[in-house]
Amino acid sequence: MTSPAPADPVLSLAAVTLTLAGNAGPVNILRGIDLAVARGEAVGLVGPSGSGKSSLLMIMGGLERASGGSVRALGADLTALGEDALARFRRSHMGVVFQSFHLIPTMTALENVATPLELAGDRDAFEKAAEELRRVGLGARLDHYPAQLSGGEQQRVALARAAAPRPDILLADEPTGNLDGATGDVIMDLLFGLRDRGATLVMVTHAPELAERCDRIVRLRDGRIEGETARARAAAAE
Amino acid sequence: MSVALRIARRELRGGLAGFRVFLACLALGVAAIAAVGSVRMAITQGLDREGAVILGGDAELRMTYRFATPEERAWMEARAEAVSEIVDFRSMVSVADPGGADRRRALTQVKGVDGTYPLTGTVGLAPAIPLADALSPPGDLPGMVMAEALAGRLGVEIGETVRLGTQDFTLTAILTREPDGATASFSLGPRTIVSRAGLERSGLLAPGTLYESNYRLRLSPGADLDAVRADLDRSFPDDGIRWRDRRNGAPGIENVVNRLGAFLVIVGLASLAVGGVGVSAAVRSYLERKTETIATLKTLGASGGTIFAVYFLLIGLLALLGVAIGLVLGAGVPLLLGPLLADRLPVPALFAVYPGPMVEAAVYGLLAALIFTLWPLARARDIRAAGLFRDLAAPDRAWPRLPYVMATLACAALLIGLAAWLSGIPTLALWSAAGIVATLAALALAARGAGALARRVARSRMTRGRPGLRLALAAVGGPGGETSGVVLSLGLGLMVLATVGQIDANMRTLIAQELPGRAPAYFFVDIQNDQLDPFRAAAGGIAGVEQIETAPMLRGVITAINGIPARDAKINPEAAWVLRGDRGVTYADAMPPGTELTEGAWWPPNYAGPPQMSFSDEVGREMGLKLGDSLTVNILGRDVTATIASFRVVNFRDMGINFLMVLDPGVLRGAPHTHLATVYAPPASEGALLRAVGDAFPNVTGIGVREAIGRVNAALGELATATRWGAAAVLVTGFVVLIGAAAAGERRRVFEAAVLKTFGATRGRILGSFALRAALLGLAAGTVAIVAGAVAGWGVMTFVMEAEYRFAPLSAVAIVAGGALASLLAGLGFALRPLAARPARVLRARD
Repeated sequence: MTSPAPADPVLSLAAVTLTLAGNAGPVNILRGIDLAVARGEAVGLVGPSGSGKSSLLMIMGGLERASGGSVRALGADLTALGEDALARFRRSHMGVVFQSFHLIPTMTALENVATPLELAGDRDAFEKAAEELRRVGLGARLDHYPAQLSGGEQQRVALARAAAPRPDILLADEPTGNLDGATGDVIMDLLFGLRDRGATLVMVTHAPELAERCDRIVRLRDGRIEGETARARAAAAE
Repeated sequence: MSVALRIARRELRGGLAGFRVFLACLALGVAAIAAVGSVRMAITQGLDREGAVILGGDAELRMTYRFATPEERAWMEARAEAVSEIVDFRSMVSVADPGGADRRRALTQVKGVDGTYPLTGTVGLAPAIPLADALSPPGDLPGMVMAEALAGRLGVEIGETVRLGTQDFTLTAILTREPDGATASFSLGPRTIVSRAGLERSGLLAPGTLYESNYRLRLSPGADLDAVRADLDRSFPDDGIRWRDRRNGAPGIENVVNRLGAFLVIVGLASLAVGGVGVSAAVRSYLERKTETIATLKTLGASGGTIFAVYFLLIGLLALLGVAIGLVLGAGVPLLLGPLLADRLPVPALFAVYPGPMVEAAVYGLLAALIFTLWPLARARDIRAAGLFRDLAAPDRAWPRLPYVMATLACAALLIGLAAWLSGIPTLALWSAAGIVATLAALALAARGAGALARRVARSRMTRGRPGLRLALAAVGGPGGETSGVVLSLGLGLMVLATVGQIDANMRTLIAQELPGRAPAYFFVDIQNDQLDPFRAAAGGIAGVEQIETAPMLRGVITAINGIPARDAKINPEAAWVLRGDRGVTYADAMPPGTELTEGAWWPPNYAGPPQMSFSDEVGREMGLKLGDSLTVNILGRDVTATIASFRVVNFRDMGINFLMVLDPGVLRGAPHTHLATVYAPPASEGALLRAVGDAFPNVTGIGVREAIGRVNAALGELATATRWGAAAVLVTGFVVLIGAAAAGERRRVFEAAVLKTFGATRGRILGSFALRAALLGLAAGTVAIVAGAVAGWGVMTFVMEAEYRFAPLSAVAIVAGGALASLLAGLGFALRPLAARPARVLRARD
């Protein structure tokens, strides 16, 4: 069931564990994950609630620190990097989309999208941000604050924000989880559109139709990889 | 109501976690007011209880440079169980410098007492010997006791010889307690007590010398003070005798205490206003967290009225708790510190829990709580059930319904009205209230302005590529930020401090600037007629002395205006001081050089007609006097009625010789009097001048202008310190609100930091942005505080002090910087958690 490891993985995890302190003692969230993601691949992480899929995604993004094992992204050992080095790494290589959008409420849509570009020192941050917003269909909403936007619109801003720096890796945590079906479809199209621009996509989802569009589906249960399914497209690529 | 009560009770299960700032703000403001009120009450009660001791008897009759006539003395003896005669005047004491011919001199306030002194209370001496023994020790010389400060200044030990006038005394003890000394504590020289008999040979009570005689009466226990006073007025209507009795033993002190107390209560109200900002913010943030509950309750059928009642009850209960904590603190702290304070206060104080100030503070606290919570509560009632289905975080900008707006305004009016009424200084209270309201409005506008400016700048090209700066500006200008809370609380606190700073700096400049221009080095008083020429020669012979001016000096009490007794005369309260005590009077034949008449004409040379007078133009205007009016002045127990022939400019600030009243020489030339001299000399010559005059004229008292200015400066310093303590209470409250605002914003910052980290921001960059945001807010608050403080300072200097106002930049810069720093500290204190938080945990917790 497990796919053979790609020759030049963008992401590679070996024996990754995550243990968090809970009220009733330590909780083992991840219990030894081995996973490699190839450049340009779209991987869907699925599994029941509490299986550890979001935690795994966060570890891939350096947003959570693994308790054990190794996490490499684009050749860099994420477990060896400090907080700020991780931030700089994300700035150059990663984009993240959350279920709850996580836009900064005091910033307009345009400013939200421009922020990662600015952090990366991009001189054309605003032009690129505006372009990205127009691409997701929000050209008329540049100066709106998040509170003035609908849920779907907010997620489109979040998507534009993640995509604007043209990241090598795009991580998405249930990107359509808070949206209705039609709005979710729009977001899905946009997301896979980004992937088509060359990004590697790793996505946590509960939505079967979203998982169906991925090259590979990785199923988690109780902090372990229960199995994988390679989809036709991935097989075709091989 | 019962349903509302039940729901409110259930809502209380959530605990008081979100209400720490609410409780602290209310408690601090109430505590400050209650504490000031308690101390004020303790002093007033102390003064009332000790009235007879402070006064030195049940009643006191005061006369200026004369003793009682035999008739007056007989009148007193007939009505009192005991009479004590005291003479009080300023003089110089000196001691021989060991091993040198020189003498060390110091200014003192001398009290000559008879054998019955003190009628009430006891004199404290070290060593503890009876006063009678101390004043009549064995040996040839009479005895003397003096305050420790004076003995220290002279470097004299017990048993050594001290000269007063031409008489030597033996210092027999140090005066540790003067029962009737409270009123004298503001005089220029420390106290010396000698016996009347000892004084007889000092040559200091020659005719015309400036002294005051006091007759203290011990009356029979049931005596009617008013009846005795009326009897005195009937018996000696024109003798210029001033009356005081135990019911108001120290009117000056009581007045000062009441004024300062009232002023500090107003400062306490400012603190309550600052606290109100915190209270309002706490309630708003609580209700924001409750939006979902409120919307759910509405979905379940709760009316707007029920919602209002639920949270009104809940907040009301908390307000009561806050006020109660404040009252306990406000009553407890003075009570605990009472023994310590009582020793340091120059007046008796009776520390206890007084209900009056407690009620006052509680009412202020509850009104403030109402004013600052009605709006958010009224808005809560308008939350719609649909709120459940839309973005709950978006702030509701709607105004509350009209009745709530009206109720809030009514509460504010009631609070201001109460403050004006209870403080006893309504003008100051109303101006202060107007100042606070105006400052709050200005700060609210400034917060909006800063927000708009921040938004504008955030969108300008300037911030392109500087996400830290833009994030900071976005936080200042963006929706739902902490801008208004921080600017309001910090700004109001800083404004009070800025006002105190501006006034203090201006007062100091005012005093300092009067001096260098052209001020005399010394005033000399009590120069006898036959000493005038030798004095001029002696002083003029000192190297460096530039100028000597002299004038005859008498003192008189204005007893009638146009024939109407002064007590019944209706004059402007601003000029009432003129009638309260005795005033300086001089005479001159020709118009003195430099005199500037504003109206009327000087009398002709050798004028021999009915008495004429030249009066101060400014004071005359305040009193409503005009040319041709007559003033009756009691001088040496004799009434002199003179017609006002001219008004002239009198500038008391130039420190030269200035008299309110100048009479033609006719009536006064023959009266016993002394002369006043001012001597202009550089500081280097002052020592030699004082020595020369002191050696040649032991009866003449020299008052150093520099020293006097120093005393005034020190007194001002003490006043400024008291005021600063009050201002500190406001600032502490402001800081609590600030911390509250920073704490409330922490969640938001944790989230922002997490998002920014996700998109590649380093911690340094995030910290820099947070610091910048805090500093910007502090800067905005400080700037408004400076402007408001300058306007208030200008108002006080121009209208109260009637002096020129100059902006004091040093104090201003310190306050703006202090504001930025305070905001920065509070901001950074709450930046640690956001910086340390792992993005994954933060962001997932919100999913």
